[in-house]
Amino acid sequence: MSTLTLLASGEDKFTPPGLELFDSPPIIPGVVWFTKPVLLALLSTLIVVAFCWSAFAKPKLVPRGAQNIGEMGYMFVRDQVARPFLGKDADRWMGPLLSIFLLVWVWNLMGVLPLLQFPVASHIAFPIVLALGVYFLKLYLGIKHQGLIGYFKNMMFPPGLPKPIYLLLAPIELLSTMIIAPFTHAVRLFANMFAGHLILAFFSLVGFWFLFEKLTPLGAPIGVIGVVMTIAMTGFEMFIQFLQAFLFAMLAAMYIGNSLHPSH
Amino acid sequence: MPAMSEKKIRPEDDARDFAGAAWSIPSYLLSGMALYGGAGWLLSKWTGVIVFTPIGLILGVALAVYLVYRKHGR
Repeated sequence: MSTLTLLASGEDKFTPPGLELFDSPPIIPGVVWFTKPVLLALLSTLIVVAFCWSAFAKPKLVPRGAQNIGEMGYMFVRDQVARPFLGKDADRWMGPLLSIFLLVWVWNLMGVLPLLQFPVASHIAFPIVLALGVYFLKLYLGIKHQGLIGYFKNMMFPPGLPKPIYLLLAPIELLSTMIIAPFTHAVRLFANMFAGHLILAFFSLVGFWFLFEKLTPLGAPIGVIGVVMTIAMTGFEMFIQFLQAFLFAMLAAMYIGNSLHPSH
Repeated sequence: MPAMSEKKIRPEDDARDFAGAAWSIPSYLLSGMALYGGAGWLLSKWTGVIVFTPIGLILGVALAVYLVYRKHGR
């Protein structure tokens, strides 16, 4: 969509897409908060709920259709995300972890779905909300399972270090766990989706501009490169989208696991 | 709560340690740089000796690397 508005501006020079890609007007005039990313986030929630419903509501002994795919996703999250970090508690945490993984993945996939083409997480508010949820869960579980003093003691003073070193390392540990970790948790997802969307928009605009808008003998090869790169980058972006969803869920499992059992 | 008292080294523990270390490194590095780089910057500001800022930054990174090593390294 933004490509077309840029082309319609009638400029004579190629202008690469910028931050205006991420400004979306309200869908219903007057309802300021209801923009495209909000609509896509709601749609993603519906998709995840509908998918899990059709996959897990009436499980059959011999899985077919949606249940088959759902069980593949469940096994992946259980074996790759939950069990390495939660051990015996893995099954109890599969609900939230599978939900986080699927939701983030669908959010990210919105970036390459034709016509929708906007990754929800490229607005940092969305990953921040998820990361804050995990953060408060981590604090609650840590204080519940280790006690208020025990939680901070286990976090800042892992056993087996010479005494003076604690003075230097404990502040780093405290700052990292309490502030920087939730920050990087959200920013990692946001930045990947933001940059990926910019790259895709840039290469597709190069293709549009040099092949359709301003077709010249010298410009055409550049346009072809743009189209080829758009296709290649879309494939790469789909890999990144999956990877970031996996990482987001994995870090959530790691934080929960560290709160349940203090790290050695 | 299932008891977690028995301590056995399982393959999962290795994977957990590796992934845990790998993905907590950025947040430790940032924390170390912010903390000791910030302290160095304050020292520079008060004393006028500019070199405290880079010393603090490097000290912060070194301490953060050491912390990751002690927590996850063997």
